[in-house]
Amino acid sequence: MLEISGVCKCYGQHEVLRDVSLTIGQEIRVIIGLNGSGKSTLLKIIAGILAADAGQVVLNGRDVSALPPEERRVGYVPQHPALFSHLIVRENVRYGLRGGRGSDELVQKVVKMLDLEDVLERKPEELSGGYKSRTSLARALAPQPQVMLLDEPLSDIDVAIKEKLLPEFREVLKFLKVPVLYVTHDPWEAEQIGDSFSVMVDGCIRDIASAEEAFAFIRKNRIEVA
Amino acid sequence: MRKNLIDVVFVPLFLLLVVFPVAALLLNLDGKGIERTLADEMFWRSVVNTIFAALAAALLCTVLAAGFGYYHLFKQHSIVYKVANLLNDLPIALPHTVAGLALLLAFGRKNFGFIGETGLAFTLTAVVLAMFFVSYPLAARAIASGVDRMEREVVDVARTLGDTPAQAYFKVVLPVMGEALFSGFVLAFSRSLSEFAAVVMFGGNLPGSTQVLASYVFTKVEEGELEMAVTASAFCIMLSLLIVALLGLRRLKWRHA
Repeated sequence: MLEISGVCKCYGQHEVLRDVSLTIGQEIRVIIGLNGSGKSTLLKIIAGILAADAGQVVLNGRDVSALPPEERRVGYVPQHPALFSHLIVRENVRYGLRGGRGSDELVQKVVKMLDLEDVLERKPEELSGGYKSRTSLARALAPQPQVMLLDEPLSDIDVAIKEKLLPEFREVLKFLKVPVLYVTHDPWEAEQIGDSFSVMVDGCIRDIASAEEAFAFIRKNRIEVA
Repeated sequence: MRKNLIDVVFVPLFLLLVVFPVAALLLNLDGKGIERTLADEMFWRSVVNTIFAALAAALLCTVLAAGFGYYHLFKQHSIVYKVANLLNDLPIALPHTVAGLALLLAFGRKNFGFIGETGLAFTLTAVVLAMFFVSYPLAARAIASGVDRMEREVVDVARTLGDTPAQAYFKVVLPVMGEALFSGFVLAFSRSLSEFAAVVMFGGNLPGSTQVLASYVFTKVEEGELEMAVTASAFCIMLSLLIVALLGLRRLKWRHA
C-alpha cells in the first residue's frame, strides 16, 4: 500500500505540487496530465530523488519521507530507458540484486515475461527502442520493489510497438502484486494499462473514473490537450 | 571571388601570430645545434624529468578532478563544492610565479623542514606539485563538463536500485566518463609540460635534478647557447603536436564508438 498525504513542492515561486494526497493498493493507477502538471515531480518525490517541501510518503505502513532513494525499495522507470551503457542487458537487469533484494527466480521470470532471453548478452546500444524499454522495466522489477513508478516509459516508442508492449507491461506489473503508479499523457495508453485513474492539473490531483473522463476534466479546466 | 572580413583579418593574423613564430623557430634549427643538444646528458635528463613529472601531475589532477566531479554531481550546495569551485579558477588567473611562491611557502622549509633542509622545495616532487597546481583546473573543468553531459536519470535509477551517491558515481558515472577523464588527463599533461614559472620558483632549475624542458630552454638562452635552445624548443613542439594528435585520435574514436 502506498499512501501519500499533503505533499507540496515549489521551485522558487512556482508551486508544482499542491497538497497532493493519494492512496494506492495492489493496482495500476495511471496519473494523467499535461506536460508540466507535476506528475514527474510527484514520482521523483516518492522515489526519494527529490525532497518534498511538506507531506508524507508511507509505504506498507512505513514512513519513508526522510529516507534516501537507496533505502526505499522503489522501482523507477524513467521516461528515457536510462540503461547503464557500459553493462550488458543481463548486468543491467541484475544491477539491483543485493542485500536480499530480489531473487534469481524472479529475474528469470521477468526476463521470460518480457522476452529478453535472446538479448541478455547484448549492450544497450545494440537494442531497439522496444527492447530498451523492456530492459528498463525488468531492471526496476528484478529487486522486487515495494512500489513501481513509471514515468511515461513508452513515450519514445512507435505506436505499433507500443500496442505489443502494453499488454506485456501490464501482465508483468500485475504479476509483482505491488502498487504501480504509471504516468502518461496518452489517453489510449492509459486505458490499455490502467486499473484506476487520477488526473493532475496544475499540481492538484483527483481520482477519476476513466482516462476519457480525465481528459474531459482537463479540457473543462480550459487547458488545451497537447 | 570576394573574401569576407573574417577571411581578410583572421588568416593573415593567424599566419603572423601563430604560424610565423613556430616557423621562425624551426627555420633556426641547425645541424650543429641538434648534434650538441642530443649529445647533452642534461637535455635527456630534462626530457625524462618533464615527461615523468607531467605524467605524475596529470594523474594526480585526474584523480582529484574525479573527486570534484562527485561534488559537482551530488553536492553542489555544500560549502566544500562552493570553495572548490571558486578555487578551481584561481590558478588560471594567478601569475604562476605567485603560485610557485605559494607552494614554496606551504611546502618549503618552514612547514616541511622535517623532510629535508629545503622541505619539499627543489625536488622532483616539488616539480610535480607545481605542475599539478597550475594544471588541475583544466582537468576539473573537463570532468565537470563530462558530468553535465551525462543523462541524470541514469544516476537516479542507480540510486533507486540501491546505490549510495558514492556507489552510483563509481559504478555508473565514472565507467561512462572515459572521454572526459581522458581529456582531463591529456589537458593536464600538456599544461604540465609547458609550465615554467611555478616549476622554477618551487622546484628550482637544477640541471639533471629538477630541470625540465622549459627551464632547459631558458638556461640555454641565458648561457648564449641559442642553437641548443632552438633544438630543445623544436623537441617541445614535436612533443606537443604528438599530444594534440593523440587527443584528436581518441576523440575521434569516442565519437564513432
